[in-house]
Amino acid sequence: MTLTETGQSRVNGYLFVLERSLKTFLPMDVVRDAVREIESHVRERIAAADGSPNEREALERILLELGPPLRVAKAYSAERIVDEAIATERFVPMLRAVWHLAVTTAAGFGAALGILIGYLTGLAFLSLALLKPIFPDNVGIWVRDGHESLRTEFPWRLGAQFPIPPDEHVVGGYWVIPICLFLGLLVLVLNHRGTMKFLSWWRYRRVS
Amino acid sequence: MSRDTWLEQLRRGGLDLAILLAVANGPRYGLAIIQHLEAFTDLVVGEGTIYPILGRLTREGLLDATWVEGEAPHPRKYYKLTRAGAKRLREMTLEWRAFADKIDRLMAATTIGAGREPVRGRGEDDRDAD
Repeated sequence: MTLTETGQSRVNGYLFVLERSLKTFLPMDVVRDAVREIESHVRERIAAADGSPNEREALERILLELGPPLRVAKAYSAERIVDEAIATERFVPMLRAVWHLAVTTAAGFGAALGILIGYLTGLAFLSLALLKPIFPDNVGIWVRDGHESLRTEFPWRLGAQFPIPPDEHVVGGYWVIPICLFLGLLVLVLNHRGTMKFLSWWRYRRVS
Repeated sequence: MSRDTWLEQLRRGGLDLAILLAVANGPRYGLAIIQHLEAFTDLVVGEGTIYPILGRLTREGLLDATWVEGEAPHPRKYYKLTRAGAKRLREMTLEWRAFADKIDRLMAATTIGAGREPVRGRGEDDRDAD
């Protein structure tokens, strides 16, 4: 089957959408190679088609068998981004994979939210450890004036306050630093492992 | 788990092996791999989703991809097994056969009521003798 101008436009439109979708997540050289391969597939199918009952229907059938461009792009990007994150276990590829899943799937969005909260919590603990030596009176466990024992102030409120509230003050000393460092690193490591587990689970059930 | 989900998981589990088998006898380009799989199996659901898997297998070093021009009016990307791919294919084939064999034995052992004697598992005879 030889394509008319209309048919050619339809193919170009498909490839354009595919390229735009792939560009969002993949490097340009990978995008070019993927689009070239899909175009080769389409041209091959078109060359082998007899054009019945008409060009439009024959072409739509070919594109339908290939799948919608967004679905193809999703499969490409998921294969690459999630695999890279799992293989390297590095922070940036992992964030990229989580971001990709967050904007493409509902489960990914929920997981990304939890992962974000986890990282922020870990970073908050580490920030407290860093701020304590600089602002010793502003960082620590906060108690109300007149309640010097931590027992009467449960639940404890660990944090930094600027300026210091008039009826509160911090208790404890620099021992807050190792505790915050330990908790911060623990939360970050657990969160990282949890993220890898989520990505592995997702890879297992991904679209293929 | 629904029957469809179970079938989908089976399909996914077998797709990597099927793709490696499709290029085991020589290089094939994407569409030729799809047509080969379609001729023998119903593993291909969306043609477009095979290419990302080919890309992953290439990144994993199991396949080697080369663009060939001049053979057809449009360039074709050929895939062939690497040495690592051939080794992985042998391992996967053995694993698959062993797995299928175990399931076959299990199924044969549970044909009670269908007019067949159940196949005894290893160790069952010893236990009976005791």
